[in-house]
Amino acid sequence: MSCPKTTHLLQEYFSDSLSMHARKEFEKHLFQCEECRVELDNLKLTRRELLAWQDQRVPHWDRGLEIFKREHDVASKSTGLFSGWQWAPTVASFAMLCLLLLDTSVSVNDSGFEIYFGGSSERAGIDQSLAVFEAQQTEEIESLIRRFESRQASNNMQLLQAIMERTQQSTAESLDGIYVYFEEQRLQDLQDMHLGYQQLADSDYATLRSLQELAQYVSFRDVER
Amino acid sequence: MSVIDEDEALIAAVLAGSPQAWEKLVKRYESRVFNQGVRLMGSRSDAMDLLQEVFLGVYRNLHRFRGDAKFSSWLFRIAHNKAIDLNRRKRLLAGISVNAEWEADPLASFSADRQQEPDMSLMNSELNQRIVEKLSQLPLAQRLVVELKVFQSMTFEEIADVQDISENTAKTRFYAALKKLKQTMEEEHVLP
Repeated sequence: MSCPKTTHLLQEYFSDSLSMHARKEFEKHLFQCEECRVELDNLKLTRRELLAWQDQRVPHWDRGLEIFKREHDVASKSTGLFSGWQWAPTVASFAMLCLLLLDTSVSVNDSGFEIYFGGSSERAGIDQSLAVFEAQQTEEIESLIRRFESRQASNNMQLLQAIMERTQQSTAESLDGIYVYFEEQRLQDLQDMHLGYQQLADSDYATLRSLQELAQYVSFRDVER
Repeated sequence: MSVIDEDEALIAAVLAGSPQAWEKLVKRYESRVFNQGVRLMGSRSDAMDLLQEVFLGVYRNLHRFRGDAKFSSWLFRIAHNKAIDLNRRKRLLAGISVNAEWEADPLASFSADRQQEPDMSLMNSELNQRIVEKLSQLPLAQRLVVELKVFQSMTFEEIADVQDISENTAKTRFYAALKKLKQTMEEEHVLP
């Protein structure tokens, strides 16, 4: 570096407090001195390369809020026992306990709301509601039963008609069969009876012949005597 | 309402005990402090340590802030001091002379620290990584001046105030730092 002004001038160049006059002098020198001009360009380039930095995202952290809150909570506690909200959970628990022990209930209706203690009126109300509900349920069940019965009766009628139709057909067929069977049996019985009579007649004829032979024999013996 | 007025309003609310105001105040500056930490310390984990220490320092000392300077200047003075402390502690743990790092070239020790730091891989761009590598080759004093001048856009007067040095020293350090960075870049271009 041969220019004696380079260091001083470049040190001042980045100063924000450089006067207008000094800046003009500086630019005049740069116009004449290539060495200083090149050096300044290099430094500017270096600064530009640094400024290409891309901001990194900050990792998650609590930002010191824990310490902040803790220390400020400690400060507020020192003002008195009842200054903070620390009793709120206890009070809420006590109120809930009282409500449970007194069996407190709140009823909301058209005229506003009513608070009951002990629960008797509430029970009466509940009983009334239950009775109404039961009546409704009974009515609904009866209606259902009626509908079921009528539907069942209709089904039965249809079923019976179907069975009867089928039975009529089968009965007619059966009667024909029976008639044929009876007819066959009658004919067979007639034949049997005929045979029986025939046999009986034959038997009677044989008996007559025996009697005749016996009578002839007897008459023959009488003659011999 | 200007940024300064907003800061003052938030500070008043914080001093009155508002955690929401504190969170808002932290959110306004945490990104700048964190990114400054990454550039100065070379890793996200160290930057996170720095971030927490800086805001703890702010919280502990906020009642001393008089408003005669910008809150951001006051904050970055704390960040500057905390960065030096953190760097010193790191070096003491590593058994390296603090003075040697402050005045002379810290390249060897810083590079060693950086290599042991797996968090470096979490850098969100190669460009950032290259910038950190270049900055890491500067002594901490120069790195701090570059940080305040280039990234925090402070005047040499403000830098001198933050670092308790003269304006001329600040200018000299800045110029020396830029020259060193330029030299590094030239070497990088020759030997990519």
